[in-house]
Amino acid sequence: MKILVVDDDPIVLESCKRVLAAEGFDVTLVSNADDALDMAAKQDFDLLVVDVKMPKRDGMYLMEEIKKQWPEIPMIVMSGYPTPETIAGGIRMGAAKFISKPFTPDELLESVHEVLNLKPR
Amino acid sequence: MFYSTRWRLILGILGVCLLVGTVSLLVGVQLLYKAFLNEATHRVRQDLNAARELYNCRSRGIRTALSIAALGTDFRSAIRRQDTSTLINCLRRVAGSVNLDFAGVATADGTTLCRIGPNPIPGQAVQPINPIVGLAMERGDTVSGTLVLSGEYLSGENPALAQRARIELLPTPRAEPVAEREVASGMALSSAVPVFDGDELLAVLYGGFLLSRSHEIVDTVRDTVFQQETYGGRSIGTATIFFRDIRISTNVYTPSGERAIGTRVSREVREYVLEKGKRWTDRAFVVNDWYITAYEPIEDIFGETVGMLYVGVLEAKYADVRRKALSVLIVITVAGMVLAIGLGYILANRIMDPVNQLIRASTQVSQGNLSPDFGSISDGEIGVLQKTFLEMLGSLQERDKRQKAESEDMLLESEKQASLGRLAAGVAHEINNPLTGVLTYTHMLLRRKDLGEEVRSDLQTIAEATERVRKIVKGLLDFSRQTQLDREPTDVNRLVRSAVSLLENEALIKGVDLVFESGEKLPMVTLDRHQLESVLLNIILNAFDATKPGDRITVTTGMTLSTDKSDQKGVEITVTDTGCGIPPEHLDKLFDPFFTTKEVGQGTGLGLAVSYGIVERHGGTIRVHSQIGQGCTFTIRLPLGEQDKSDEDSGRG
Repeated sequence: MKILVVDDDPIVLESCKRVLAAEGFDVTLVSNADDALDMAAKQDFDLLVVDVKMPKRDGMYLMEEIKKQWPEIPMIVMSGYPTPETIAGGIRMGAAKFISKPFTPDELLESVHEVLNLKPR
Repeated sequence: MFYSTRWRLILGILGVCLLVGTVSLLVGVQLLYKAFLNEATHRVRQDLNAARELYNCRSRGIRTALSIAALGTDFRSAIRRQDTSTLINCLRRVAGSVNLDFAGVATADGTTLCRIGPNPIPGQAVQPINPIVGLAMERGDTVSGTLVLSGEYLSGENPALAQRARIELLPTPRAEPVAEREVASGMALSSAVPVFDGDELLAVLYGGFLLSRSHEIVDTVRDTVFQQETYGGRSIGTATIFFRDIRISTNVYTPSGERAIGTRVSREVREYVLEKGKRWTDRAFVVNDWYITAYEPIEDIFGETVGMLYVGVLEAKYADVRRKALSVLIVITVAGMVLAIGLGYILANRIMDPVNQLIRASTQVSQGNLSPDFGSISDGEIGVLQKTFLEMLGSLQERDKRQKAESEDMLLESEKQASLGRLAAGVAHEINNPLTGVLTYTHMLLRRKDLGEEVRSDLQTIAEATERVRKIVKGLLDFSRQTQLDREPTDVNRLVRSAVSLLENEALIKGVDLVFESGEKLPMVTLDRHQLESVLLNIILNAFDATKPGDRITVTTGMTLSTDKSDQKGVEITVTDTGCGIPPEHLDKLFDPFFTTKEVGQGTGLGLAVSYGIVERHGGTIRVHSQIGQGCTFTIRLPLGEQDKSDEDSGRG
C-alpha cells in the first residue's frame, strides 16, 4: 500500500512516516503541492494525506487537482485549525476523512484504515 | 423672494390697507360730495326765494311810489286842468325817486296825455295802448307786476328804451333752436294806478322799469345774497332774469368777460320751467361753467309765463372740496401703505427672525453641529418651538454621546477580542504541528516492549502533559473561532432537557440533585442548538465543580421582558446551584479568557469566555449573580427578534 503524505512541516511528515511505516505502509513524503502532483504523476498511490495550510498552493488546491486527474485516489485531510469551515471545505474537495492535528498514532491509523477499508491490526 | 413669508405678510397687510383705503376713498368722497351737493342745492333754493323777494320788492316800490303820487292834490287838480307841464314835472319827480324808465298819464279813453321821455306830449298821434293801463282801467284798480312791452310801444315811449330792449340772440349750445335773430320786445316791472274823481275815472297814472339790460336787480341779488363771495376770481353766485328763454339781465359772464345778454337757457330747463311752469333745481351747465342752479317761472300781470328767474352757485367750489378731500384721502392711503410696508417689514422680521434662526440652526444640526447658534428665545409660539427644538437637541446630544461611548466600548471590546482571537488561532496552529510530533513519538516509544518501568512512566507523563497542552490549544481555538451560528427555530425546553439528561448520570455519581423546571408556553427561538447546548453543559459542569454531594442544581426556563439590550421579549434560562458561590473579586473576571479558579490541569479557563461569545452572538446576554457560601445563579437571556447580530462578527479568526 503506497501512501503520499503532503505537509510543509517536516516534523509532521516525519511523524506520519514513523507511524505509517511501522504499520507496513510504503510512505512517500513531499513538502508542497507541486511536488505532490509530480509524485502522483510518477507513481500510483493508494492514499493521500494532505495538510490544508501550506505556503504557495495549499491543500485545497492540491485536492482539487488530484480529484480532477486521479479521482480514484482517496484522500485524508488534516489541519491544525479544525474550524467547521475547514472541515466542510476539505470534505467538499473530495477528502474522505478529516483529522485534526495534533493526533496520536492510534487516531491516524484508525482514519487510514477506515478510508482504506482495512481492519486495524 | 416674493414667496417668502416675510413678503407674504407685507403684501397681506398692504392689500388690506389698499382695500380699506380705496373703499373709504370712494365711499367717503362720494358721501361727502353728496352732502355738499344737498347743502348747496338747499342753499340755492333759499337764494332763489331771496331773489324772488328782491324782484317783488322792486315791483312793490314802483306801485307805492305811483300810488302816493296819484293821491297828491296838486296832481289831481293838474289832471282836471289837463296841466301837462305840472304833470310832467310831477312824473319826473316820481320817476327820479324810484328810478323809472318810463312813466306817464293816460286819459280815460286810453290815449296818453303826457309822459316823461323825449316826446312828452304825443298828442292825438296814433299809438298802441300800454297793456297795463288797459288792465287797470278794466279792473278800476291798481295793477302791478311783470309786463311784456313790444318794441313798437317802447319806441313810442322812448326810442332809447326800444334800443335797450332790442337784444340780439347769441348762438347757445344746448338751447332750443329758433328762427328769429333778435328780440325787440322788452320785459318790465310796471304799475298802473287809476285816478278817480268820485266814481268818474279821470286818468291812469302808469310807470315802469325796463328789465332788459338793467342789472340792478341781479347785481343786488349777487351782492346781498351771495355777499360778493368769489371763487377763483369769479363771483360764486350768479342771478339772471330771462325773458322767455333769453338772458336779458344777468351777471353771468361769457368767456370774453361780457355779461351773457342774448344767450339762452338749455332746452331741458326751458321745457321744465317755461312750458310746465315748475321749479328747477339741479346742477346745470350755464354759459361756460357748471353751476348748481335753481330756476322758477315769472308770470306777467295776465298770469302768462313770460320769463324765468335764476340763481346759481358755482359748482367748482364744491367740486374742489371733493378734490381736496380726495387728495387728502389719497395721501392718507399712501401714507398708510408706506406705514404698512414698514410695519409689515418690522413685524415680519420679528416673526421671521427666530424662524430663520431656527432654520439656520436646524441646517447646522443636519450638518452635524449639535450646538448651533440659536439667538435669544422669543415669546409665544415661536419660543415654544425654540424650546422644544432645544430640548430635542439636548436629547440628541445625550443620545449621541451615549452612542459614541457605547460604540467606543464595543469597538474596543471587539478589537480586543479580535486580536485575542487572531493570537489564539496563530498560536494554536503553530503549536499543533510540533505537538503532533511530540504525541507521535511519545506514543511510538510507549509501544516498545523493551522499556524499563521508570522510562515507561516518564513517557506516560509526557503523553499526559501533551494531552493537556492539546486540550488547552483546543479550548483556545474554540474561543478564538467565531463560527457562524447555524440557526433554526428551537424549542428551548427541549434543548435544556436534552442537555440536563446528558449530565444526569454524572449528577448521580456526584450525589448532586439536578432538577429542570420548564417554563410554560415558551415561543420557539431561532438559535444554534449545538453551540447553545455546549454553553449550557459548560455552565452546569462548572456548577458540578462548585457543589458538594447533597447540593442542588436547578435549571429553569421562562419568559423575560427584557434582554437588557432593548425592550424586547425574550426567553430566559437560569442555572442555580447551592454550592460554594463565587467571591466578588472573581465575578468581574469570570468571563475573561484563561481565567480559572480550578486547579492546574482541571480547566482551560476558556469555557465561560467561549460561552459568553456564543450567547452574545445570539444577541443575548449572560449574567451571573452570586453570594459566597450560598451558591450562584447564571442567567442566559435570548431575544425573540433581532437574531442576526452581525454575521460579519462570525467567522472571525
